[in-house]
Amino acid sequence: MVARELIPEHKLLSESEAKKIAKEFSITLDKFPKILESDPQIQKLGAKSGRLIQINRNDDGKKYVAYRYVIKG
Amino acid sequence: MQAEIIDNIRFTTISPDMIKKMSVAKLIVADTYNEEGYPIDGGLVDQRLGVIDPGLKCKTCGGRAKSCPGHFGHLELVRPVIHPEFSKTIYLLLQSTCHSCHRILLTEEQVSDVKAAIKSFFVEDVPDENGTTVDITSLATTIEDSDNRLALFKKLKAVKKCPYCGTVQQKKKFERPTFFYLNNSRMKPDEVHDWLSKISDADVKLLGIDPAATRPEWFVLTTLLVPPVNVRPSITLESGERSEDDLTHKLLDIIRINQRLEQDIDAGAPQIIIDDLWELLQYQVTTYFNNETPGVPVARHRSTRPLKTLAQRLKGKEGRLRYTLSGKRVNFSARTVISVDPTLTINQVGVPLKIAENLTTPFYVTLWNIDEAKRLIQRTEYPMIINVIMKDGTRKRFTETNRDEILKALEPGQILEKQLVDNDLVLFNRQPTLHRISIMAHEAKVLPGKTLRLNVSVAFPYNADFDGDEMNLHVPQSLEAQAEARYLMQPKLQFLSPRDGRPILFAKEDELGGMFFLTRDGAEYSKEDACRMLASVGINELPKQTKDGTYTGKGIFSMILPKDLDFESKTSSGRIAIRKGELIEGVIDEKSMGGGGALIIKIFVDYGPDVATAILAKTSRLALGAAAQGGLTISIRDYYNTEKLDKERKIIADQVEAKAMELVQKYKEKKLDALPGYTRKETLEILVMAQLEEARHLAEQSLQKELTTENNAFLMSKVRARGNIVNMVQMSMFLGQQAVRGRRPSRGYSGRILPYFRKNSSNPEAKGYIKSSFFDGLSPTEFYMHAIGSRDSSMTKSLITAVSGYLQRRLINAMQDFYVDENSSVKDASGALIQTVYGGDGVDPMKERVAKNKMQKTA
Repeated sequence: MVARELIPEHKLLSESEAKKIAKEFSITLDKFPKILESDPQIQKLGAKSGRLIQINRNDDGKKYVAYRYVIKG
Repeated sequence: MQAEIIDNIRFTTISPDMIKKMSVAKLIVADTYNEEGYPIDGGLVDQRLGVIDPGLKCKTCGGRAKSCPGHFGHLELVRPVIHPEFSKTIYLLLQSTCHSCHRILLTEEQVSDVKAAIKSFFVEDVPDENGTTVDITSLATTIEDSDNRLALFKKLKAVKKCPYCGTVQQKKKFERPTFFYLNNSRMKPDEVHDWLSKISDADVKLLGIDPAATRPEWFVLTTLLVPPVNVRPSITLESGERSEDDLTHKLLDIIRINQRLEQDIDAGAPQIIIDDLWELLQYQVTTYFNNETPGVPVARHRSTRPLKTLAQRLKGKEGRLRYTLSGKRVNFSARTVISVDPTLTINQVGVPLKIAENLTTPFYVTLWNIDEAKRLIQRTEYPMIINVIMKDGTRKRFTETNRDEILKALEPGQILEKQLVDNDLVLFNRQPTLHRISIMAHEAKVLPGKTLRLNVSVAFPYNADFDGDEMNLHVPQSLEAQAEARYLMQPKLQFLSPRDGRPILFAKEDELGGMFFLTRDGAEYSKEDACRMLASVGINELPKQTKDGTYTGKGIFSMILPKDLDFESKTSSGRIAIRKGELIEGVIDEKSMGGGGALIIKIFVDYGPDVATAILAKTSRLALGAAAQGGLTISIRDYYNTEKLDKERKIIADQVEAKAMELVQKYKEKKLDALPGYTRKETLEILVMAQLEEARHLAEQSLQKELTTENNAFLMSKVRARGNIVNMVQMSMFLGQQAVRGRRPSRGYSGRILPYFRKNSSNPEAKGYIKSSFFDGLSPTEFYMHAIGSRDSSMTKSLITAVSGYLQRRLINAMQDFYVDENSSVKDASGALIQTVYGGDGVDPMKERVAKNKMQKTA
């Protein structure tokens, strides 16, 4: 389940990167959409709650970047 | 102004001590006014509870009727009664505790297990990052916790013996609404009160109640809070008689019974009489809270009307919450029937004088316009002043008698409310408001008559027609609202749809028909006609004359186009080309000026809203002129078939039928191969259906070949003015296959739809194939088949609109406070990120067309 071609790339952002991105959107980290720690992709990355994940989607060559804020659960 | 953010709200029960603290008066008299009509002290309208009669002074705050907010009073119940809304909770508590020692029916170990399972209440005073302590007990319990708690109550119910005092638990019973039994003998409310007050704080907490906020014994009432008179005002009838509010009546009942109970107890009356009165008191209190309590007879007024007590005030669609608080009503608005007025522009709305006289716009008095203000005040007829808003915000009605007074007091900073006049911007709206274009800002045009009037072209965005539709009008008051309306909401600015970038305002129906007459090849007009047509749109020049002294329709149309317009595009019948504002080729049709709108979009994008609306209006007037001149009508003659057509339609109908029969034959001989994913029978149905539907196509084609624009019905369908070629096929060729849910009709007894047909007949006509046209008339069996198809389509249509309407409403409610932020990200009202880029691609459909057109231009 962790490495299927249909699952877009999940990237763990460093805390400083996360801060930068939050600033870009002028919001705090908890205002990003959320993802559970128990999500297979998060387990794979080993990310703990409080971190920000970047998801690089590629829809027929159309690139779209999404973010997820990791929460407990 | 930054609003304070509410962290959480806590609802708790009120304690008897708190009631006494809040109360300004102990009520003891079961009466309201004395003979002189003066409030009785200690009665239900005691002046300490506030005053509602003008002239009286509140004995608590000294305020007058308008300035006194009212104060709570209380009354002491001689015997406690159960609060009916808490009886279920009381039952849970009784079940969970021992009737002898009043401890929770759990052993020490079990208690610690429960504490572990139900987290939210027991993680106490945890310091957060900043070192301040957070009281977790005040946090909402989680779903998991409330599930665990339910399981706990279930377990407690089953406990047989108290783990502390060893008492064998007797059967506890609850009878709605307020009766409790222990071992089948009735417990009086005071016993319940006693029991509940003996449950320890620690046990209360285990049972899910925060003892710091609510003690369980407060669920049994010993004192009753009496709302101020402002909450239950009495009305003075014309006869001078006073009529009290339902709540006052109910409270009177409670005090009366309470007093009788007290007297009887003091007089040492027998226990049975006391118990009866006690129960009556319980009944009065129960209905005081909720007169629709299940299992309790409804308390009625003398006129047998059920009393409206506390719960009834709040509950339901007409209750305080949904009606008073969530419901919104506005001033500065009007509503009547709408009708058409072709002399109005799409940006205008016709307002009846009667309405204009009653609606007002603010006129802000300043140093620079004070003379104008004086002139307004001096006016004695229509556009005059109605109210003056003084500097302190009070509104003064302007009358003939106080004109001089107002004139003298006039100073900058005051606001005059002036009657609505021409060119004031007003919002115009039709329900259902599904769209942003269901509310637009129009310039008012004050007209005689009693209806609101609009240009037909804007009827489309409102989805309005004139068969009795009513619409609402609102006058924006603040300058901000006026500016928003002016720059965002005018119809001319709503030219393109935010959904797909297609025009919202465009030519249709007769306008398209007229455009065809005007701009078709060979359309020529005499000088006289050309002059008249152009003059009707305010043009005083003539286009180039042809050799034989006439004017071409294309030339006349070109006069309304901008002189530097270059345009080229495909149309339904070829292409159109415009060079330097001159229509040199093609017919203006639906694809250029209609809903398809390539030309309209081009003009809107390149020349702006004002030019676009002007051209659209001129197009409309020219086209209607041309249509009127040519005459555009249909008659039964348009549906006569030529001999050739009649032959063709018979051939088509029979041919198709034969082919369908062939398929059935193949099926019967088992030579028909099943399509993937279908059974053989389904395959047959699909193929037959396709074959029979093919008949319509063939009929359409032969009509297309045979008919010319000499036939007006055909012309109208061709230029997309009205009607569709399918309608013509149905009228003059044949109806073809009827369908139920996309299949041939199949329901009926013993393998047939009608007993007229043979059982399991393979004849297509037995399954809804109709060879007659509306012109011919249908045979009885055909008529029946057609009715089946009609019912199916009318039902699907109405069901689909209901379902999709509800779906859309829910989506709108869910997304209503989303907005696109500066970096084109989408956020909601709390600032939470919804999308990183609007729509995933940042495209605004309204502007997308613009981009495409620009690309075409450069290419």
